[in-house]
Amino acid sequence: MKQGFRQSMAWLHTWAGLVTGWVMFAVFVTGTATYYKTDISLWMRPELRAEAEYDVVRAAELGVAHLKVHAPKAMAWFIGMPQADNPLIGAYWMDTPDGEIGKALLDPATGAPTVARATKGGDFFYRFHYELQMPPAVGRWIVGLCAMTLLIALISGIVTHRRIFADFFTFRRSKSAQRGWLDAHNVTGVLALPFHLMITYTGIVSLSLMYMPWGMVSVYKGDELRFYAESGQMTTWRAAEGKPAEPAPLGPLIRRAQAEVSEPLEMVSINNPGDANATVVAVFEEPHGLAHRHPQIAFNAVTGEIVERTGPLKPAAHAYTSFVGLHEAHFAGPALRILFFLSGLMGCIAIASGLVLWTVARAPKGMVRPAFGWRLVHALNIGTILGLPVGMASFFLANRLIPVDLAARDSWEGAIFFGSWLAAALIPLARPHRQAWREMAYAAALLFLAVPLVGWATTGWRTDFLGFDAAMAALALVFVLGARKVGRYEGPRREAARATGDLARA
Amino acid sequence: MTDTIKPSAGPSRGRYRVMVAARTLLAIFGGYGLAAIATAFLSLTLPLDRSEAVASATLASFAIMAGAVIWVFSARSLGRAAIGLALPALCLGAGLWLALGSAGQPA
Amino acid sequence: MTPLAVSLTCLLSFSGLACLCLSMDRHGRTLFQGRPSRQRDMAFRVAGWLAIALAFSAAIVTADWNFGPVQWLGSLTGAALVVVALMSYRPAWIRPAAIAALPLAMATAFFV
Repeated sequence: MKQGFRQSMAWLHTWAGLVTGWVMFAVFVTGTATYYKTDISLWMRPELRAEAEYDVVRAAELGVAHLKVHAPKAMAWFIGMPQADNPLIGAYWMDTPDGEIGKALLDPATGAPTVARATKGGDFFYRFHYELQMPPAVGRWIVGLCAMTLLIALISGIVTHRRIFADFFTFRRSKSAQRGWLDAHNVTGVLALPFHLMITYTGIVSLSLMYMPWGMVSVYKGDELRFYAESGQMTTWRAAEGKPAEPAPLGPLIRRAQAEVSEPLEMVSINNPGDANATVVAVFEEPHGLAHRHPQIAFNAVTGEIVERTGPLKPAAHAYTSFVGLHEAHFAGPALRILFFLSGLMGCIAIASGLVLWTVARAPKGMVRPAFGWRLVHALNIGTILGLPVGMASFFLANRLIPVDLAARDSWEGAIFFGSWLAAALIPLARPHRQAWREMAYAAALLFLAVPLVGWATTGWRTDFLGFDAAMAALALVFVLGARKVGRYEGPRREAARATGDLARA
Repeated sequence: MTDTIKPSAGPSRGRYRVMVAARTLLAIFGGYGLAAIATAFLSLTLPLDRSEAVASATLASFAIMAGAVIWVFSARSLGRAAIGLALPALCLGAGLWLALGSAGQPA
Repeated sequence: MTPLAVSLTCLLSFSGLACLCLSMDRHGRTLFQGRPSRQRDMAFRVAGWLAIALAFSAAIVTADWNFGPVQWLGSLTGAALVVVALMSYRPAWIRPAAIAALPLAMATAFFV
């Protein structure tokens, strides 16, 4: 290990990138899809028609009426307001601080549970993005560990790739396959480097109090809510008194809160509902700005007086919330959103091409049977890079093809996502390398193309789904082009010999 | 620690694997430990409001961990890597112990 | 942060990055006949950085210090991607496109 800094960084880049690549590819793909979470959710609940505006007071009262019946013992209720891009009342409740959060989606017109098909919608990818659909504690730690490793891979990659500017615009598509993959890796990695660094670091920061709670623990003795309250991110939690009391009507409180804040109301939460010391908190949407900050006004639920307002954020808290805000990009309008989406896609391609590069650079020469490690990486590569898209397309198809009234239908959608992903990962094991890539790419293309067609056939053609349909068709096209590219690929013959040298220099 | 000079003979190959495993473990646990101690220390001692100190220290903690991991993999020997983590961790740990002792009184 | 403001930043970034690309030995040589000249490279380099600086100020003016830098970096990424695509598939288009982007940017600026 007595080599230069740059060589050890090249080693670190290769191996940190490899071990974290598969998980991070899935995280990047589902995270990129999450930029269009509301569009995905709307497409997946075709029964809904959005209205331009909703009566928030009525929505809050309908939510409370539902929760009074279904969660009378909860320690907190949260009622999400219906919006044009999410036309449902979200009624959530929490029984214990660490327990599962209960959820019901209500029709804003009637307050009854929605008739829209049961589906997790875009939330499925959103949750997968940081929990991998595992138990939250497990999934979040795995994603955090992989994100940290990716951060290391990024830093060591910058050190390794010293000719970062000389190669800035270089994409030699006519040269060898290895050069092509290397250039694709460099171009997508370097051009969107600010995004990659930002998204990785801010992603870790988004769950920082879970990963690195030691500052909060040493100063606040583990009282996380107090930290949030003191840094101006939310109002203080007021403990229950233990005596029941009749709450003041909700409508006037909401109107008074609205008179103070110009942003739309996002959510009303009621802490310790029914208690003499219950609190009503009006939570508003992010004001125009980078920070992920939701202004809040807290009322005493019984007397109706204002007990607390979140003030402006101090510098460090502002930086902290801006990190989270940058990650989520809620502030981005349609044009900027496209750029975020594009950068996210480049992240996916950078990771995928890096993974493929590892196998291409180490491809066995001639008739040699590849080592077990190489075959494992190859199988995982195709299983992830093409398996995940196959799973996503199948998930969309399942949304249209599973009967609307099937019991636990949203779990079936998830099962089909994982089932088809698994199938797409296993089938290639029985096929020769190159055919496997080509066939699976065509399969993914076919499935994505089928999504809008099946959508039209089952729920009719709708102009507001045009963007979604176009995106599916574009993805299908990308996979067709990819499959054709693999078909023309010469195979690793002479390039392989030069491989290791090239990589070390890159 | 590059791949290109990876020894392929039996015993030295095993040694290489042990060294990689040792550095990886040191990077993960040592790097996290150092970052955790630094975060707690800075949260208690930064001359800011306490919520600001916690936010700043937590934001910086992952950069500290990243730096520590890079150090572990670039140090010339495993021993140097370990000492390079242990020294700052000991200093910060001592500071943290003092800061925790005086945390009861308002600064 | 309207789509127009983002397109203005994108157009200026594209023009700038295309100029920088043309100023580089490897790419300039594939596009210009004859010997590479230091003067021409220098002119392209200056023009490129100028356009990128202009894109930055356009982003700050239209989107403030809050979003401006984000919009600028995002635009640079998007524009660079287009430059790379043109460079590898239609290299001959890159110079006219870089020039055409400027009046387009001016027209866009008029409406922002």
